[in-house]
Amino acid sequence: MNVFQPSPMTRRCLLQNSAVGFGYLALTALLQGESNQAYGALKPQVAHFPARAKRVIFLFMKGGPSHVDTFDYKPKLQQDDGKPLPFEKPRVQFAATGNLLGSPWKFRQYGESGSHVSELFPHVAKHVDDICFLHSVHGTNPSHGGALLKLHTGSDNFIRPSMGAWINYGLGSENDDLPGFVTICPTFAHGGAKNWGSAFLPAEYQGIPLGVASQPSTKAEVKYIENPRWSSDVQRLQLDLMNSMNRDHLGDNGNQSSLEARIQAFELAYRMQSKMPEAQDLSQETAETLEMYGLNDQVTQDFGRQCLLARRFAERGVRFIQVTHSNTKVQWDQHGDLKAGHTQNAAEVDRPIAALLGDLKRRGMLDDTLILWGGEFGRTPTCQGNGSNGRDHNPEGFTMWMAGGGVKPGHHHGATDEYGYYAQEHKMHIHDLHATLLHLLGLDHERLTFRHAGRDFRLTDVHGHVHREILA
Amino acid sequence: MRLSNFLCVKIISLVLMAGGLGFITPEKELIAAEPKPPTQQELAFFETKIRPLLATHCIECHGEETQENSLRLDTLAGILGGGSSGASVIPRDTKHSLLLAAVRHDNEQLKMPPDEKLSDAEIQFLEQWIEKGAPHPDQLGNHDIKPRRSAIDWKTARNHWAFKPIRRPQVPDSTSDQSPIDAFIDSARKSQGLVPNQPADKRTLIRRATFDLIGLPPTPEEIEAFLADESPTAFEKVIDRLLASKHYGERWGRHWLDVVRYADSNGQDENQVFVDAWRYRNYVIDSFNQDKPFDRFVIEQIAGDLISDDPKSEWTQRDYDPIVATGFLELGPKVLAEKDTNKLEMDIIDEQISSFGEAFLGLTIACARCHDHKFDPISTADYYALAGIFKSTQSMQALAPAKYNEQILASAEGIERKAKLDELKKAKQAEIDTLVKSANEQLKNADGKLPSDAENHYPEETRQQLTQLRQEVADLTTKAPELPTAMAVQDGKATNVRIHVRGSHLILGEQVNRGIPTVLQDGDPLVIGDAESGRLQMAQWLVSPTNPLTARVAVNRVWRWHFGTGLVASPNNFGKLGASPTHPELLDWLAAEFMANGWSLKKLHRQIMLSDTYRLSSATSQANQAFDPENRWYWKTSVQRLDAESLRDSILYVSGQLDETPGESMLTLEKWKLVFDHTSKDTTNYDSHRRSVYLPVIRNNLYDVFSLFDYATADTPLGNRQTSTVAPQALFTMNSDLFLNSAEALARRVSQDEPNDQEARVQRAYELTLGRPPEASETARFLDTVAQFKTALKSRLPEDQATTGAWTAACQCLLGSNEFTYVR
Repeated sequence: MNVFQPSPMTRRCLLQNSAVGFGYLALTALLQGESNQAYGALKPQVAHFPARAKRVIFLFMKGGPSHVDTFDYKPKLQQDDGKPLPFEKPRVQFAATGNLLGSPWKFRQYGESGSHVSELFPHVAKHVDDICFLHSVHGTNPSHGGALLKLHTGSDNFIRPSMGAWINYGLGSENDDLPGFVTICPTFAHGGAKNWGSAFLPAEYQGIPLGVASQPSTKAEVKYIENPRWSSDVQRLQLDLMNSMNRDHLGDNGNQSSLEARIQAFELAYRMQSKMPEAQDLSQETAETLEMYGLNDQVTQDFGRQCLLARRFAERGVRFIQVTHSNTKVQWDQHGDLKAGHTQNAAEVDRPIAALLGDLKRRGMLDDTLILWGGEFGRTPTCQGNGSNGRDHNPEGFTMWMAGGGVKPGHHHGATDEYGYYAQEHKMHIHDLHATLLHLLGLDHERLTFRHAGRDFRLTDVHGHVHREILA
Repeated sequence: MRLSNFLCVKIISLVLMAGGLGFITPEKELIAAEPKPPTQQELAFFETKIRPLLATHCIECHGEETQENSLRLDTLAGILGGGSSGASVIPRDTKHSLLLAAVRHDNEQLKMPPDEKLSDAEIQFLEQWIEKGAPHPDQLGNHDIKPRRSAIDWKTARNHWAFKPIRRPQVPDSTSDQSPIDAFIDSARKSQGLVPNQPADKRTLIRRATFDLIGLPPTPEEIEAFLADESPTAFEKVIDRLLASKHYGERWGRHWLDVVRYADSNGQDENQVFVDAWRYRNYVIDSFNQDKPFDRFVIEQIAGDLISDDPKSEWTQRDYDPIVATGFLELGPKVLAEKDTNKLEMDIIDEQISSFGEAFLGLTIACARCHDHKFDPISTADYYALAGIFKSTQSMQALAPAKYNEQILASAEGIERKAKLDELKKAKQAEIDTLVKSANEQLKNADGKLPSDAENHYPEETRQQLTQLRQEVADLTTKAPELPTAMAVQDGKATNVRIHVRGSHLILGEQVNRGIPTVLQDGDPLVIGDAESGRLQMAQWLVSPTNPLTARVAVNRVWRWHFGTGLVASPNNFGKLGASPTHPELLDWLAAEFMANGWSLKKLHRQIMLSDTYRLSSATSQANQAFDPENRWYWKTSVQRLDAESLRDSILYVSGQLDETPGESMLTLEKWKLVFDHTSKDTTNYDSHRRSVYLPVIRNNLYDVFSLFDYATADTPLGNRQTSTVAPQALFTMNSDLFLNSAEALARRVSQDEPNDQEARVQRAYELTLGRPPEASETARFLDTVAQFKTALKSRLPEDQATTGAWTAACQCLLGSNEFTYVR
């Protein structure tokens, strides 16, 4: 195997001709790193085939929203409420469950597509004709941690890069001054940073967290973006002194690319200190927009701010933006108290999500922005908890949905059985979801590889199948 | 698209992926065909029921023309030899014959034929046929019934450079005073026509060596002493001083902790805290400081519990070292909430095999969990031979809820004494309860209620008794404190493991005996008693002279940590897809020397660091740079960035803040608790000025300094840290408390050292941070900027604060400079 790289001049030319900024820094850094691994990183940055979406906004519902109470209408479940499940439950379950539990919410049909949505999502329901529902998603792990890792990294038992990192690695950032992957208010539980980590991919591709789930989104910012002591003019003087020292040092050490790159990194950091707050400055938004995202309402303002931030990052060319609906609870995890819990959760996200869809559409951004909505699993149609008011984890079949960026609008793909327990038609494993997501971004999941520990790794491992039926 | 089509595509792609080069299964795993020739009746059964079935449903993909997954079913040899997942039929064993598992469609990952399931009757015929011993006309002698996949060609497999025995190579002809290392390097370099740099100057050299061995910069006084020492052994003295420093183990032990994916929490899905992991960490640091022979160090980490000395009545802490050492096997991330406990157990074993293979052998053995390794001669049988050893080892005390295994660090007597005292305490507590209960009964009034201060109303005698008993309980608690525990393994129930087809515990194939990878086996298999796990035998084999890998992998790691690149650029992969050695003879010479020197790491450091190669300057010559930009031929010393720990420790050190005392645990949580539950609240405290090696390593949420500056991932064995240069590092350098507070401490330190003379103060700051006096122009530039800072700050701060602020801002630039951050 050739562990060596082209001469530094060639590489420098290459860097100058490619997208600079974060990409530039990533590449120069790699030249210093493990040469035999790093080489592969130079090759992507260009899509394998025409992309239908340029960026992704992932609206992650931590805890596992119940598909049979939201977007997967099951009249038979209502009919057989209280009866035992007429077929076998999975070999491995999270906990024991009881008989079938009809949904406490009514469903209605909406839009030209006549899609069924429960009364939990009245605002999102108005956008069904833009949404492509994936009713047959399934995973393998019935616990939160394993399922989160599977969804975010493709593996629950091995350490793998997150999908955002893969996409950032594959496509890079479109903005020289901002990272290519941000995750707003992520949860530290159940995999924590692994869910936005880069594992064996170079560190440059990991997600940059803004805040944490335990804090309100008003506090969501990049760590160390602000100086608690120096004003901007003092910092400028500092950089000038440091640059001057570093240039002398560089002269003594024969123009080493890593030393050069470090000088650039400081300049970029200095710019980020103004660009990042600008990207997050919601005072630039109109009163109508703030109202639409629900920022004036106690219930919706926290998630609404996350959604609005997501749009602003999307506008600025950030490639993968995740927003997480989670706080200090396990959020959508209603083993009991389903009615109150899901009512509250849905109320917090329904309006902001609808606003994001509408806002992107009116700005013409929905065409090349892919929205992905969903949790780490769905919930069982069988009941759990006191007073038959809860549902257990169900990775066997659940609903996620996509909108925009090259998916069929107003479309329903796949189906669970008549009660909503198992995915049955057009089964879409998490690996298939990943393969399809990459495809929409112009990346071939079998070709987006990285050499590590003696073999080429992929987001989809040796699995994954693009579901072309959902492509517009 | 039809469901069946989808499945078909998916399975075929899986099969193709799994097929690979189809390494041949070693002899030990093959099953003999039935010795007796089949009867006419049996043959008729085959011809009427089985052959047509195979022809219709199987042969198209598994016949003479095509052999998907390396499997063909048109000959008995093919049927018995099987594909890359192992034998498809084991005569008379319907439970483990994969052909049946596949046609029954009872596992998602193995369904054949992929598009249409056989009828129940057809499946029954196959079952009957296998129960009869799979009678087949090939047994009549028309064909060679030796399975198609004959024994692996070990001669070819062992030809790979890393599997060849280590032989001490001839040192190239050289000038008389040249060290063998230099002779090897020089000869290779000459053949490339490269002229090496001159030696580095003494300031550079002592800075390089000090960072290298202890992860801190030399003090101005140490530099002066070295400059003043003009004896030929001056540098040797520096190296010996550094090797004797307790900081040596903190630096080099930390290198090893990268390899063993050390962490203080589980990470993965449920981030359980590892309250006792620090004992293993400190064991590693101590072992390096003691220069424990590396072979012993290896054995302890695999099987220390099995070599502990004879029981003594009173053990010293060090006697527990070998037990603590087996923490290596416990430290991996585990899917703790996995509900399928069989899978959980096999995943844990997989993690152990993977870490064991990469850390000690430089082999990616875990690839063979699902299929024969595609590039290296490691079969699934080899994998499950190792799995048997780990399965026979108790790594978990419970699987639901999952708890890692522990050993109590106390002598048998100590444990017994503690148990007795605990019993006594329990009895006393029971006495108290009885007393309270009966006193309460007597106190109760008509409606059965007790006054809230019931005890005050007890008879005097009862109260005295209670006080007495409670005192006794308190005394017993003090006398019998909780005994210390370590994350450690012990032998469990000895067992062999069946091959898990495609890595699934739901499809079991042939059983393999516990043992080591065949390609590395020189001579007879390990002798493992029926009741033993085989861990000790495996550990002893690891460091035996016949093992070609352990010493090579170890010396390559040491070389890599000194020079920034290994002689083999992939320290964790010596297999076919790993890098080839740039200097194969030097690697073997070092390995042979290492073993001959009693596996002493400190001797190895001296050999390397006293070479001319180590002492070259880092200057760049255009011609050399163009020819060999990666410095593959060692014409210079490559510049290296400080790693995360050295960076933090050095900032604290030069600013006079480093706490040099060794640490134990810094975790605040109790055993088994989660570092992060759903609240996402971080309780870990990094607010310490101890050396970084003692800070908690929290998987899934590493300390910022670690995660920003390319620390080990702490999840999988790491041989090469990356060196990234990204804007968030610059933000940290500009804005973090660590840098700001250290800059302030440094400013105060130099103003105390030189209160009156500003130029001397600048000189002191340069000497502390960069190990050299500034040029006159540098002093002028520095003081000029201090003045500008002061002007900028004066409008906002009082005079004295503006002055301190100005010096702080300037000192921060020294700490953030490239010269401080990169070692030449």
